[in-house]
Amino acid sequence: MGKYFYIALTSIRSRLAYLAEVGSKTIFLFVVLYIFLCLWKVTYAETNQTSLGGLTLKQMLWYLVVTESIIMSLPTIATLVDQDVRTGALAMQLVRPMSYPLNMLAQTSGERVLSFALNFFVGSIIALIFVGPLDLTWSAVAMFLMLLPLSFALDFTIYFLIGLAAFWLEDTTGLTLIYSRMTMILGGMLIPLELFPEGWQQLLRVLPFSAIVYGPARAFVTGDWHLFLSVFLQQVVAIIVFTITIRIVYNLALRRVFSHGG
Amino acid sequence: MDNAVSVTQLAKNFVLKKRDGIRWTQTQVKAVDGISLSIEKGQSVAFIGPNGAGKSTTIKMLTGILHPTSGEATVLGCIPWKERTKLARRIGVVFGQRSQLWYHLPPADTFELLSKIYEIKKDVFESRRDMLIERFQLSEFLDTPVRKLSLGQRMRAEVACSLLHGPEVIFLDEPTIGLDVIARQELRELIREWNREKGVTVFLTSHDAGDIQHVAKRVIVINHGRVVLDDRVSRVRRQYLSRKVLSVKYADTPESISLDGVKTLKESGHAFRFEVDTLAVSIEKVMSEIMRIGSVVDITIEDPPLEEVIAHIYSAPPAAAAGDEAEEEDDDGEA
Repeated sequence: MGKYFYIALTSIRSRLAYLAEVGSKTIFLFVVLYIFLCLWKVTYAETNQTSLGGLTLKQMLWYLVVTESIIMSLPTIATLVDQDVRTGALAMQLVRPMSYPLNMLAQTSGERVLSFALNFFVGSIIALIFVGPLDLTWSAVAMFLMLLPLSFALDFTIYFLIGLAAFWLEDTTGLTLIYSRMTMILGGMLIPLELFPEGWQQLLRVLPFSAIVYGPARAFVTGDWHLFLSVFLQQVVAIIVFTITIRIVYNLALRRVFSHGG
Repeated sequence: MDNAVSVTQLAKNFVLKKRDGIRWTQTQVKAVDGISLSIEKGQSVAFIGPNGAGKSTTIKMLTGILHPTSGEATVLGCIPWKERTKLARRIGVVFGQRSQLWYHLPPADTFELLSKIYEIKKDVFESRRDMLIERFQLSEFLDTPVRKLSLGQRMRAEVACSLLHGPEVIFLDEPTIGLDVIARQELRELIREWNREKGVTVFLTSHDAGDIQHVAKRVIVINHGRVVLDDRVSRVRRQYLSRKVLSVKYADTPESISLDGVKTLKESGHAFRFEVDTLAVSIEKVMSEIMRIGSVVDITIEDPPLEEVIAHIYSAPPAAAAGDEAEEEDDDGEA
């Protein structure tokens, strides 16, 4: 296991080499957060409510800080796998005594953790300036710290599968685009699930998208135990299901052609 | 004999999909068509062939990346595609067109990472790394990000990377591609040194005749997925040395030459290139004939370059691969 941890560290170090580029994304974060702050302010004022979907305006902005940081920290997992397959670079990975999926997990997780930390740091400053500090509880932080790595792992399994589709498809960018947009919309990036129509909520809570975005963010701002347990369970089950799928698909894929340069 | 690599009737078919109007048709392409060979431990072998001959496919099967369609192979006693991870610790692989170095990090960081991946003991790693740094002269750019290295520097680091875990067999797939003359010579020298001094078995593919001549003792030529020649490099050269190439420049248009064993390769103005089969006709006879037919201004006699020898072998038609004409080729040389 030590080697994968070291791969993650190396990935962070490599990422630090062009920190400016990573950091430039946070400008976008500032714009998004400011626009949504204005929109929610109007919404709260117009509806004369102090709480929407169980969240105050302050909680809503902090919720957005977390969801945006999760979404914006996404490494290009599917593209990396797709390229490895398409260009035959996968060969270089396979001649090493390590597992390719775990290597990719380590590499992209390192990248994501760094990127998330940076986004979250900048997002927090913006939130502190506009709405002030959140009433955080230690248990909420603990829940968040447990759900977040699982959220990243779950997101990874799905993107990795999409990347593996390159063994069969000419182009996987379409799938990546669809999945990423679904994560944003159905995962509750901009609007918490509670504000979706009743009928939808049931479905959205079962789908993996909410376990990636909504779950960790909501746990962070509310510290709700029930929510934590159900999201945790949902994440674990989904990760197991997708890991098994990866095993099957990956083994099938390895038997397939990759004749590039051969 | 202790073999590092043994291959028996190894074959790999690829399915090629073609669009025929709106229908897709599938055709089987035999990338590797039943090759057999064995390589003793400590040997240096050049595995050559034209593009699409099946070289890389074979290397990929021998390193466990590809599953063969049929046939058997063992590398250091392991079946590569079944024991890939186990074998990976004992072999080194360099794909000249792919990098294993982290682009934004200095080579030193990749070395460190590889030591973790291969689980090399710290003291073993450090002494081996220092030796490689010294031999491959890496110290001047060891801490420079890879993106700022020249191709020659990068390739030296690449090869060093693949030796870090002390492999017993090293597969080099076009390691000198794109390198300048000096960088190429340096790299060849290093590979040869490693083979001779450390006894590492070298399995090299290249399109560069110089690589083959300077690094390998044995050459295996593969074409259309089959082995068409397997012999010592020196003998392959010697066989073809029975042919000489004569470049002759005349003062004016000479009579045409008609001698058995003399072939006109090129003719432009008053300049001629003849290929002489010295087994069929003596050089002396040819020379006097050349002098007789016209007034000679200049003349040079050369051995055919290895490159031409290879081109000659490659140009054998597919049916000849393991059949009659391949044998004929052998006869040619040995006769």
